[in-house]
Amino acid sequence: MKILVDNRPIECKEGELLIDVLINNGVEIPHFCYQQDLGMDGNCRMCMVEIKGQKRPQIACDTFVCENLEVATKSEKINEVKRSILELELLNHPVDCPICDQAGECKLQDYYMDYGLYESHLCTPKTKKGKHIDLGSNVILDQERCVLCMRCVRFTSNITKTGELGVIGRGDKARIAVAPNHKLQNPYAMNVVELCPVGALTSKDFRFAQRVWFLDSAKSICHGCSRGCNIFIDYNETKYTNEKVYRFRARRNKEINLSFLCDFGRLSYRELNESADCFVVPPRNDGYMGSVAIQNSDEMNHCERSTVIYSSNEMSHCEQSAVIYSSNEMSHCEQSAAIYNSDFVRNLLHIKKKVALASPSLSLEQLQAIQEFCQKYKVALFSLPYIDESFGDDWLKTNDRSANFAGVKELNISTCQEEFESSLKSAEVVINFDHNLLKSHMRGERMRGSALGVPENKNIIHFSTSKCEHGTVLAIANFAHESGTLINCDGLRQEFYATKYKSEAPSLIELLEVLK
Amino acid sequence: MSFSFNETNSLKIEFLAKRYPQKKALILPLLWLAQKQEGFISEKAMAKISELSHMPYMHIYSVASFYSMFRLVKNEKKVVEVCRTLSCELNGSEEIKKHLLENHSDKYEIVEVECMGACGGAPMCTLEGKYIENVTPQMLDEVLNAN
Amino acid sequence: MQTKIVSKNFEIPHANILEVALKNGRYTSLEKLFTYQPQEVIDIIKTSNLRGKGGGGAPAGAKWQLASDFAGIKYLVVNADESEPGTFKDRQIISKDPHLLIEGIICTCYAIGANSSYIYVRGEYEEFSDILQAAIDEAYAKNILGDEAKYPVEITIHRGAGAYICGEKSALLESLEGNRGHPRLKPKSPEPEFYFGEPTLVNNVETIASVPFIIENGAEAYTAYGTDCSCGTLLFAISGHVQNAGVYEAEFGVGMWDYIQKLGGGVKNGKKLKAVIPGGASTPILPAHLVMEAKLDYENLKSLGSALGTGGMIVLDEDTSMVKALKNLLRFYHHESCGQCTPCREGTSWVDKTLDKFVNKTATLQDLEVLKSVSKSMNGQTICVFAPAASGVIDGFLEHFEAEFLECIV
Repeated sequence: MKILVDNRPIECKEGELLIDVLINNGVEIPHFCYQQDLGMDGNCRMCMVEIKGQKRPQIACDTFVCENLEVATKSEKINEVKRSILELELLNHPVDCPICDQAGECKLQDYYMDYGLYESHLCTPKTKKGKHIDLGSNVILDQERCVLCMRCVRFTSNITKTGELGVIGRGDKARIAVAPNHKLQNPYAMNVVELCPVGALTSKDFRFAQRVWFLDSAKSICHGCSRGCNIFIDYNETKYTNEKVYRFRARRNKEINLSFLCDFGRLSYRELNESADCFVVPPRNDGYMGSVAIQNSDEMNHCERSTVIYSSNEMSHCEQSAVIYSSNEMSHCEQSAAIYNSDFVRNLLHIKKKVALASPSLSLEQLQAIQEFCQKYKVALFSLPYIDESFGDDWLKTNDRSANFAGVKELNISTCQEEFESSLKSAEVVINFDHNLLKSHMRGERMRGSALGVPENKNIIHFSTSKCEHGTVLAIANFAHESGTLINCDGLRQEFYATKYKSEAPSLIELLEVLK
Repeated sequence: MSFSFNETNSLKIEFLAKRYPQKKALILPLLWLAQKQEGFISEKAMAKISELSHMPYMHIYSVASFYSMFRLVKNEKKVVEVCRTLSCELNGSEEIKKHLLENHSDKYEIVEVECMGACGGAPMCTLEGKYIENVTPQMLDEVLNAN
Repeated sequence: MQTKIVSKNFEIPHANILEVALKNGRYTSLEKLFTYQPQEVIDIIKTSNLRGKGGGGAPAGAKWQLASDFAGIKYLVVNADESEPGTFKDRQIISKDPHLLIEGIICTCYAIGANSSYIYVRGEYEEFSDILQAAIDEAYAKNILGDEAKYPVEITIHRGAGAYICGEKSALLESLEGNRGHPRLKPKSPEPEFYFGEPTLVNNVETIASVPFIIENGAEAYTAYGTDCSCGTLLFAISGHVQNAGVYEAEFGVGMWDYIQKLGGGVKNGKKLKAVIPGGASTPILPAHLVMEAKLDYENLKSLGSALGTGGMIVLDEDTSMVKALKNLLRFYHHESCGQCTPCREGTSWVDKTLDKFVNKTATLQDLEVLKSVSKSMNGQTICVFAPAASGVIDGFLEHFEAEFLECIV
């Protein structure tokens, strides 16, 4: 069926909410309290429209469409209504945009520019309420900026059912709060910051870190578990700093995460600002490979050459010191580190007994490239899931902490732990494609969930997005810089896209090309 | 020390629980009972009510803060309320309030309230919830000094 | 001038005691009630033109029908949250003739097929709800109520706790469910109210208390009183600057001025009349010249730009400052707004604060403009009619007494 919106016919289904039809068809409809995944509440009164045959303006969030409905969203009358309601929304607002972290993505700002633009008529004192209240879970509340849309309250009552937030008082004294001696505390708490249409709830983690108008966004997928929640990566690069990721925001997907993310996933953006330090540890004559650590980055940046070598305790026992190239320094080298390293790696690849372990969080495209590479060099390829029984819940979080284990299975990569372990035992060279198990693992320690330790006398090559504690490391770009495909725990195939800045580290696929 | 309802109130609660289709509906009656029992509604009482009504603590607190008759802090003094709404104001509630503040505020807490539904007996006050209608300063002195 | 239908037993000492009540005709309608089918009872109520007496004046029969048409569990909720300034009539029924209310509840529950009912009594009425509770206990003891009764009905008193808005039926139900008293979004087509998802009829105390008379004497006996559209009687209340403030039942359609003089004893201290707020604070004020022609029925007061509301008249004499009177009412709305909808939460506070400037004689012309424009923003843009009522109050005062406001402008 069709309805007429501002004289434009729009196709929709009987009984749909008018506001959904408007939003889905790109018709601008200002609103605070309505949120597609929280539903209607009807308190903000901003989404007023004129409906033919109705005496008074109606709120679009409480109007169901029916055949031949005629709606006006932009008439002079309705704009006046919106202006008057906006004036009331903003009446007691402190208008502290210059120091408000929401500035740039604040609905009050946007709507004022669209429908307001009036002179303030307020000649009486503003209502005072509480400021910078730490609610817990990284969430800071400013009650004076709040429009009482109740999104945050509805989130904790209806979605997480934890009910930490509520309104106290009534009338103009009504305000959002947690109960005295109580905290906002649930694994999804930070969603309220994103749900808040104004600057009332801001994130301790993000606030004052960056103005939002300096940020770019990439459509991506959270790699924190197998749910595959859709996200925006908000990032930027400035003249003097490399690309930095500032936050993840939920990207609405009705099939998966709606408009929400878990706090763990939301904060996992931090990992994207880490990178591996490429280094190579040539084996000693007796085959013993010293374990080395280097001090990272900043200090190194100022060095023209790698002169500073920090050794671990273990190193002091080594007779021979290792040569270490740091990644930052390498950017200054004429000869690319990757090439240097790849020569070294190529030599290792000619050793016969090799085993490879690929991270189940790599994209299908990366896994395919790995498969081809392993076929060429006759490497036995495995992938093991990241299982954490304490992580999952009955909503978004899954115990499988990898982003693409379903993809691993689809490519028929062996996931048999026993076979992997026996291959590992006999292998002389171990290739690790960003799998956490081998990255953080100190030589000789036992692997989690395995009876085996990584045996000594082995050459380990890491293709890694993050720091590794031993072995030869070739830094590769993390998923912020990659586009690819993942299959989530429910078998949904989803694409994610790279940010627009190039990573310093090469992409895994490129690097494997070079090595071929 | 956690809060618990006394025996009489516990019996009342048991009785009331059968009268409502859901435990949540007990919140207002329970808040009243808690206030009766302790003179105000303590955090511990709210925790107990949260448990009995199967609702989050914040919900109880939010509900309690909505209704002007629920007291969340303990009153040291007895409360005298003075209605200030139109019929009472037209009949001199402002003088009554002034008289109370000047003569009785050391012993009583004087609170202005909105219409109590006693416009026919304006001006009116309450003492510990009891209506005193058609009040005069002399009448108040008698009642309050006797208390 | 009085017509005593609901207030028949008000003067009888101890009519709240069952024994006295029985001697004075209480519960006699039940005999007749059970000779009717429930639908017949609803039809009688429809024919009687009984209208809701809580302020809205909606036809009661139609509301009963909506609830009755649902199968399964149903509830009757009696609204005794009486909080409209100038209104104190339900309190008389509850404390002077509680058995009349109980009788009415039994009739109504039988008609709509409910077995559970709640009486939501405003928290301040503790003394009166105690009297009502005692009457209910007696009725249980005599098997007038409870499982053993001829038609089993449970009555539970639910005390409010100081929130005017809980007199709004959907806010009342929210409160009865254990929530903050926030009014609910209104349905697009006629449907009953819902209590925990079950169809529910919400009626005012006086509406329910009118039912036994109609059942006992027939619809015609009721329509014999009042006007064509406003049938029967109402417990009008009168307060403010009058000699004999109180509640006096009268037929709909009597002259307002006549009522004020004859039953209210005229303006206090021999002063002249300035204005009357006709039916509780939320009805627009009528200046003296309109009071003279006003009749106490829904249609007439509507035609004069006001409303009958609860029938609680507040009389203002010639010396009353209209600026102070409006300030008083706006302070009330400011205090009582539930805070849910933006126009109401912010608007009621803004107009109240603005009125301070008029009271202090420091207002500007812009403040007058603010009053007018905010009043407009509060009208027709909220979930319930609280803000529109406040808006109507402002408009009424400014329409008839703007000059007094202009005098406060510096």
